Amino acid sequence: MTPALWQVTSRQWRTHRLRVAMTTLGIALGVAVFFAVRTANAALLDSLTLTVERLAGKSTLEVTAGETGFPEETLDTVRATPGVQLAEPVIEVIVHTAFQDEGNLLILGVDTTGDQQLRQYEFDRSQSQIGDPLTYLADPRSILLSQAFADRHGLHIGDHLPLFTSHGKMDFTVQGLFKPTGVGEVFGGNIAVMDIYSAQTVFGRGHNFDRIDLMNTPAVPVEELQKSLHARLPAGIEVMRPEMAGQALANAVTAMRLGMLITSFIALLVGVYIIFNSFTIAVNQRWKEIGILRAIGVERGKINAMFMGEAAIMGVVGSGLGIAVGYYLASGANRVMGSVAASVYGIVSTAVAPRLHADLVLTSLALGVAASLGGAWFPARAASYLDPILALHNIEARQRESAVGFGRTALGITLLAISMLLIQYSPSGVGLVFEFSYAALMLLGLTILLPTLVHWAARAIRPAMDFVGGSEGALAVDAMIQSPRRSAATVGALMVGLMFVFSTASYIQSYKHMIDRWTREMLNADLVVATSTLLRSTSYHFSEDLGNRIAALPEVQRVENVRFTIVPYRDDTAAIAAQDMDGFLARSANAVLGGNRKTVNDLLPRGQGVLVSKNFAARWRARVGDRVHLNTPTGALDLPILGLVEDYRSDKGTIFLDRAVYKHFWKDDAVDFVDITLKPGESPPAVKQEIQRLTAGSEHAIVYTNSEFRNWIGSLVDTFFILNYMQLVVAVIVAVVGIANTLIISVAERRREFGIVRAIGGYCSQIRRMVLLEAFSISVVGVIVGAIAALFNIQFMSHTVSTILAGYDVPFYFPWKLILEAFPAVIAVSLLAGWIPARHAMQVPVIEAIGYE
Amino acid sequence: MIELTDVTRSYGTGSAVLALKNISLSVGAAERVAVMGPSGSGKSTLLNLICGLDEPTTGSVKVDGVELSGLTDDGRTRLRREKIGMIFQTFNLLPTLTALENVALPLRLQGLSKKDAEGRASSMLSHVGLKGRVIHRPDELSGGERQRVAIARALIFRPPLLLGDEPTGNLDSHTGAEILRLLDDLQQEYQSTLLMVTHNAEAAGYCNRVITLHDGEIVNDVPCGAAVARGQG
Repeated sequence: MTPALWQVTSRQWRTHRLRVAMTTLGIALGVAVFFAVRTANAALLDSLTLTVERLAGKSTLEVTAGETGFPEETLDTVRATPGVQLAEPVIEVIVHTAFQDEGNLLILGVDTTGDQQLRQYEFDRSQSQIGDPLTYLADPRSILLSQAFADRHGLHIGDHLPLFTSHGKMDFTVQGLFKPTGVGEVFGGNIAVMDIYSAQTVFGRGHNFDRIDLMNTPAVPVEELQKSLHARLPAGIEVMRPEMAGQALANAVTAMRLGMLITSFIALLVGVYIIFNSFTIAVNQRWKEIGILRAIGVERGKINAMFMGEAAIMGVVGSGLGIAVGYYLASGANRVMGSVAASVYGIVSTAVAPRLHADLVLTSLALGVAASLGGAWFPARAASYLDPILALHNIEARQRESAVGFGRTALGITLLAISMLLIQYSPSGVGLVFEFSYAALMLLGLTILLPTLVHWAARAIRPAMDFVGGSEGALAVDAMIQSPRRSAATVGALMVGLMFVFSTASYIQSYKHMIDRWTREMLNADLVVATSTLLRSTSYHFSEDLGNRIAALPEVQRVENVRFTIVPYRDDTAAIAAQDMDGFLARSANAVLGGNRKTVNDLLPRGQGVLVSKNFAARWRARVGDRVHLNTPTGALDLPILGLVEDYRSDKGTIFLDRAVYKHFWKDDAVDFVDITLKPGESPPAVKQEIQRLTAGSEHAIVYTNSEFRNWIGSLVDTFFILNYMQLVVAVIVAVVGIANTLIISVAERRREFGIVRAIGGYCSQIRRMVLLEAFSISVVGVIVGAIAALFNIQFMSHTVSTILAGYDVPFYFPWKLILEAFPAVIAVSLLAGWIPARHAMQVPVIEAIGYE
Repeated sequence: MIELTDVTRSYGTGSAVLALKNISLSVGAAERVAVMGPSGSGKSTLLNLICGLDEPTTGSVKVDGVELSGLTDDGRTRLRREKIGMIFQTFNLLPTLTALENVALPLRLQGLSKKDAEGRASSMLSHVGLKGRVIHRPDELSGGERQRVAIARALIFRPPLLLGDEPTGNLDSHTGAEILRLLDDLQQEYQSTLLMVTHNAEAAGYCNRVITLHDGEIVNDVPCGAAVARGQG
């Protein structure tokens, strides 16, 4: 931009401060949400990495086997491998303390003597080491506590700490305290250490370890040692670098992170619409100025550069502002993500405050400026191609827009059709970039069609607006009919916001319908006893003894012990639901889809086949008759798929296996759920009370009746969708800012129109009515266009997004009710957003406005 | 019809600009008055005061016997709508409305039904010679046609006072003459008072009185011979 044109720009900005501020705010809002989400995402990853680092200590490799652990003989094999300097076994358990109002405690079961070479425990100064090492080792109920946890509960060395173990409530003796550094930082300081063999006993691990942390000798490189360990250990046991364990945790929360990422891009996209809108209006306002500049010899390129330069400056300022605001928003987003990671995925993390990542700052700045330039591109181009003779004419002489031409409409429809075909027929797993390009194509098609949609929607509501709002109503809609491109950007911002709201709501609704059907067909035991109020506990389990005690109750007909855990599968993971298949088939035979009923009944209870969930089948393109190959800690297990079932507990898919087979191959008899079928006529609430009495003071057991269990699953689904609800809030806020922005800009643009109406006898109140009716018509057209856009986006979400996030399709459900409910809500919000602009419009000085062009 | 007494209008504070200085003026019913003078002489300020878009710093402005300073903003708006028709140099039509809708707009703002308002607007457009152009928008009309639409809009209430701000200023001489003849005919038909600000001597020639302003003061107020002669003829 030349200095002379910069002078023109700066004067324009001074004159139209509000427009410049609203435009900058539009981009700032988009960048703020983007930056906050990305920073919170990074903080979550930092948190997971820090947790893994602290827990891993100086170890260079980890030996694991998913959540199930592996036999302790593996330690001998590892220690005997050349190049292993130190190998220490670990058991990790999150237990419920018996303190009131206290959450969970992470217990590390380690061989304390050897482990101090790996991990940093800073024991209390008064305790140079563990109080009395001999007592500590001799007493299986010895425990070492973090100073932070001990301080919170006033615990000292020698005091007792009550904990729920697999064998009931037990008191442990505090034998040492370590400081809140190193390991002590993990899990907010709620961490304790105990002897690994004691942990095996009290937490029902049998003769298994969860992990072996090891260090290589300097002579043997880590990669070489990793290869030789792989060669020596069974295929079901993984050897990885600790940082890869952090990555594995991050992968487990991919769905949540993806969801947040989508939100951030939506916010940025709405920002683009706001910029587009603002620049389109700026070009309209500066029509005559552009004509004069062209008339006095300013080249097209320079006009274009002037507008693009303005966009770049607004982009930089807006992005800077957005980054600053986003940094503060990140703390809130971080808390929500951490909470969902813990409650839905059961992931332990360490509180990490969001940091300012230079690469994120640069990315956000670049994206903000790019969004600003992208939004300003077409208006700037239109300005540079303006015919100077026409531009110098009066406002009445301006040509009408040709935004609703056949070519444009045909292109928009074609792009939409291509995107729908890709969504419907392209294979899954082709990559996120490809899959999200379907949505990009769809949005591009909708954006190209927007002026047409706005034009026709406005025409459709004009008679009603004329009837209800009189001349002011007609005037409000006429602007949209005559200049659909000018209104399109605002309606576009609203369209994207509402499309997102409608399609997300549809997705949630479909999902809930599915979950409801699943819980009715599959989770139909009369009572369920669970280890946690979360979906499951990854480390606290019941012993089979609990099932036996419950089975002994006279009201109980049948008890099924269920182990639900995550195991490695191919290059990813899968869930295993190991249970007594006789009992399962007795309750849920009708839920089995495909396959031969007799074969299922014959082979499944004998452990000669498995059922897989539909999302497992979709993820791995598996069919009935195919074989599932599992690498277990004790060797390979290869079984045919006998049938499919619906199960939504894991987004990676679930394999249903007979419990006896699982126990044999995984050497694990832990229990996560106890499904109870009562004798006919028995009352579930009464038996629930009896089981609560039975487990009181021993197990940390949550007992649900069938309806409570289904409600509980529903509430967990709501917890998972908390992020989507946040997305809805973001979409609505951005849409409201879009409406307010448009109306403020529109009032500035229509000063002359208001002046004329006032000059020929229009009251101030009629001017206010005109602005509010414009807000009303924008919102009505926005809801109509948003609903049309949602129709396409629901297809994308229920098919492509669902497959990416959960591994399966959800049924298409069009949220008619919500759309109808949205009308009054959006109209009310629009009228609120339009109130201040309407007051501004009333104060337009008539004489000045009539002379204003 | 118009009564100005010691009207002063100044802008700004301190060394304020005096746009009008102690103007007193009386215009009778059905009179045709041209207000002339160089740029900055106060012509447009005078017009704005008479139509109630502006308020005098001191003095009194009466239109059809109503003291404007005693009216609220809504009262002045009502007076402007019902008793004053305004014609502008730049036409000031709403670009998104058709000719018919532009003319019907004041009636609809008054609360008339669309059907009635457009019926009356259609007759008025026929009256100004635009029968075949009613559904055209301003950008589809010539300059002369746009000014005819503006005149039709100004006369839709048959106002007793017609104010023109350089009504031929944006038109070529041939079209300008046509518009002046139309105004002349309509003024005679409706017996409205016409007060027209103009630089154009030919336009002033259609009036029977010419007031000349200079630096905010009336320096000349004389009958116009041609018009008087034509009126007598």
